Amino acid sequence: MRDKSSDVVQGTLDMLVLKTLALEPMHGYGISVRIEQMSKGVFRPNAGSLFLAIQRLQRDGLIDGEWKATENNRRAKYYVLTKKGRQRLSSETREWGRQAAAIARILEAS
Amino acid sequence: MSLLRNLGSGLRSLFRKEQANRELDEELGEYLEMAADEKMKQGMSRQDALRAVRLEGGSLDGAKEIVRSGGWESVVDALWRDLLFAARMLRKSPGFTLVAVLTLALGIGGNTAVFSVMNTVLLRYLPLPNPQQLVFLRLPNATPDGVSSTGDGDRSFSYAVFEALRKEHAVFSDLMAYVPLAVGKVTVRIGEDPEEAEGDMVSGNFFSGLGVSFTRGRGFTLKDETAHTSVAVLSYSYWTTRFGRSPSAIGQTIYVKGVPFTVIGVTAQGFYGLEPASSTDFWIPLQNRPELNAWDEPPSLDTLYGTPKWWCIQLIGRLVPGVTESRALAKLDPIFQSAALIGLGTPDPKAKKNILAFSPTQGIQGLREGYEKPIQILLAMVGLVLAIACANVSLLLVARNSTRAREFSLRMALGAGRGRLLRQMLTESFLLVGGGAALGWMFAISGSQALAAWSGMEVPFVLDSRVLLFTLAISVACAIVFGLAPLRSAVSVPVGVTLKTSEATAYRDRRSSWSGKVVVASQMALCLMLLVGSGLLVHSLRNYQTLPLGLRVDGLLVFGTSPFSVHTDEEKEHFYQSLLARLRGVPGVESATLISHRLGSGWGWNSVWAIDGVEPQGPFSEIGMSANGVGPDFCHTLGIPILRGRDITDADSRTAPKVVLVNETFSKRFFATGDAVGHSVGERENRFTIVGVIGDSKYKRVNEKPKPTLYFPYAQHASIPNMQVELRTHDNPEALIPSAHAVLRDLDPNLPMQRPMTQRAQFDESYSQARLFARLSAFFAVIAVLLVATGLYGTLAYRVGRRTSEIGVRVALGAQRQQVLWMILRESFFVTGVAILAGVPLAIGGSRLMRSMLFGVQPGDMISFLLALFGVILVALAASIIPARRAAALDPIVALRYE
Repeated sequence: MRDKSSDVVQGTLDMLVLKTLALEPMHGYGISVRIEQMSKGVFRPNAGSLFLAIQRLQRDGLIDGEWKATENNRRAKYYVLTKKGRQRLSSETREWGRQAAAIARILEAS
Repeated sequence: MSLLRNLGSGLRSLFRKEQANRELDEELGEYLEMAADEKMKQGMSRQDALRAVRLEGGSLDGAKEIVRSGGWESVVDALWRDLLFAARMLRKSPGFTLVAVLTLALGIGGNTAVFSVMNTVLLRYLPLPNPQQLVFLRLPNATPDGVSSTGDGDRSFSYAVFEALRKEHAVFSDLMAYVPLAVGKVTVRIGEDPEEAEGDMVSGNFFSGLGVSFTRGRGFTLKDETAHTSVAVLSYSYWTTRFGRSPSAIGQTIYVKGVPFTVIGVTAQGFYGLEPASSTDFWIPLQNRPELNAWDEPPSLDTLYGTPKWWCIQLIGRLVPGVTESRALAKLDPIFQSAALIGLGTPDPKAKKNILAFSPTQGIQGLREGYEKPIQILLAMVGLVLAIACANVSLLLVARNSTRAREFSLRMALGAGRGRLLRQMLTESFLLVGGGAALGWMFAISGSQALAAWSGMEVPFVLDSRVLLFTLAISVACAIVFGLAPLRSAVSVPVGVTLKTSEATAYRDRRSSWSGKVVVASQMALCLMLLVGSGLLVHSLRNYQTLPLGLRVDGLLVFGTSPFSVHTDEEKEHFYQSLLARLRGVPGVESATLISHRLGSGWGWNSVWAIDGVEPQGPFSEIGMSANGVGPDFCHTLGIPILRGRDITDADSRTAPKVVLVNETFSKRFFATGDAVGHSVGERENRFTIVGVIGDSKYKRVNEKPKPTLYFPYAQHASIPNMQVELRTHDNPEALIPSAHAVLRDLDPNLPMQRPMTQRAQFDESYSQARLFARLSAFFAVIAVLLVATGLYGTLAYRVGRRTSEIGVRVALGAQRQQVLWMILRESFFVTGVAILAGVPLAIGGSRLMRSMLFGVQPGDMISFLLALFGVILVALAASIIPARRAAALDPIVALRYE
């Protein structure tokens, strides 16, 4: 059932949520769909870890939530990136890039 | 910011749980719906879609649980639920809870109260800004020879020294001077009636230098000091008791010994002045009027404001930050040495050296030395009480938890981890201790007030943050100790055993029953120590009380007078003559006399007089004499036997030939071979003829050794001081107070009666410390005995209860009643024997530490030890006889059907 999707690398879900919200404000389901689409189905966060990450980011003041109507006339809580969240995203992206490159270099070394 | 937001969001989900939950539900519900919509678009039925979403993303409830347990508030929430559960469990057994909480409250409250005394007397700084910078100035060698000094010889300085030292701004940012208007209280009048209050004269920088803040008005300025302005500052407590905190107190006139002063300020709450163990009611700037002479001293050339020979003022300095005490003293010493010689002429090279020193402003000055050790011993004693109390509660908990063994086993069988059980039990014990500490704090509030009253200190024993910290620390220690103690026995029981066995054959851990006995035995050993200690202290108190005083102390009333409106000695003699004449006419008064230094007050007059014109030679300890000024009928009124010669009479007036009485010790020391009567004392024009030898009697305090003592007729003094009146009556002396007061008012409506009390009560004050300690230790001992008795009783009763069916079997098989009785008693005797073996050496060691507090009794006093042993055995017997008899009286049929 979940065999196709792999778990998000430890500690990176927060970063992915931030990235998703950097494009446009989004509700919980939207975030999960967007992550799945962008990763081409590799990552599919389950509801528990997704909302836990959202709660954490909200408490850290990186995102803000607001109840709004959706295009299908439902009510959903939309999340927006705060200024602090934007700063955190760019710093984390830089850091991730550095680490990923380093790991890649190690793995490619022969 | 983010911490605050985190806190806010967490608190919201804690306290508005409903709403936070609903919101999460809604959000997750929408998530589910949206996911299902997506699936339905691909052609699934709604039902299938919902099912598929649940399968893929896990259940919604699971998700909710994950989110909820992600925040810190979930930990708080779990603790809160633990707390509620523990409270529910405790409420189910109210008897247990009540006993445990009360026991703990006694232990914790007692410790807190005694610690608050220690805090006030030994540890607390003055409630002023940067109190570490403040130092009292001291003279370890006392004042120089040849000056007029006060009873506080080791901390009194001359004005010349003050003026010289206060200029040293590199050392002191401020040097403040203060001096009491009297030993004790002075007469003041606000409105109509005269009363008494404690007042100090202070330098202009007194309040600003100390950093005292003001509730109302202002303090003094340097100009107030130099101009001797007639203004006064009230203390907060005096303002409260005398003016009911009325703002209109400012501007009112207060007459101090008849001199008007205008109130200009009220100090902040909590400042009681600098006088040791008493609270100052008001302050006025240093005054130069003779009627307001320092220490209420009769004005003479050597005791006036500004005279370099009058060493009367006390000094407190605020050191400049960064200046160490040793550097400060090094800088000050040369200045002090030259200032000390002003007005004294060339110093005698053989005279003792003048030394300047500092003492910290921590605790109560002058009390530290006398109280340090006793308070530590008291704290140790009350600590033993707490240990016994904790042991009791832990025994209770063990007993309770073993009856709950089935509950624990069941919960463990259902999957509760040991950690979970541990947390729950710790919560329960914290709850118990919390209740005990809260109740104990309330005990401590009233307890420390009672202690303050008993000890005769006017300074309240403040329960400040240091005391609170102490209480919390001992409470947490208690909670952990007996939160964990019963745990082992509770969770180490194999699950299967407890669930399977019935009550009758309940699993009994041999070790746990052993540790119970060890706990009870150590309790009893500690109790024995306490009993010995308090026995010794009570014995000491009895020795004080039964000490022969050398006079008939019962039936005597004493009170002080200060006729500030009469000035010359002729006027004063006339005043006292008419006062005595009128008092003798009061119904109930058998006889009346005067005395210049009240007996038993701790104050006296010491000097050396020439005998037959020759100054005695030798160290002061051998030739030093005490003296007192007395009125007519002195021996008759006080009941001191006249061994030879006569009493002082009305005829021994100011103009009559000078005479003196001496006591027996004086006669034996200086006239070993002959008759003292007829010889003379003093030199030149102050030569007094000895007209009588009287019995030795106590002067300053009850536990002094007899000292050569002279009794001069008060009227033949160089200047007549304010006198104390002694009245003898057949009835209750205190019943004379109203009529004596009326006589005094009749003579002068401005005169208050100073400290009227029975002479017995006045002598009792001289060993108030011993009485306080004896009472307290006896109180602790009683608590310890009660605790040990209940502890032992509880343990035995519990064990008998557990062995009901076993005993039933024994009786059914033919065991005699005596055998059963003995079986139970044997256990308690064994424990008592072990306790005595361990306790006696402990008590011997402990009593040695108390040597300095004992009076007329040795640390190894047999009677105290035997009484303590007897007490412990009696307690053991009393506590075990009821359970033992109950066991012996068991009906075997009932016992066997017990389950």
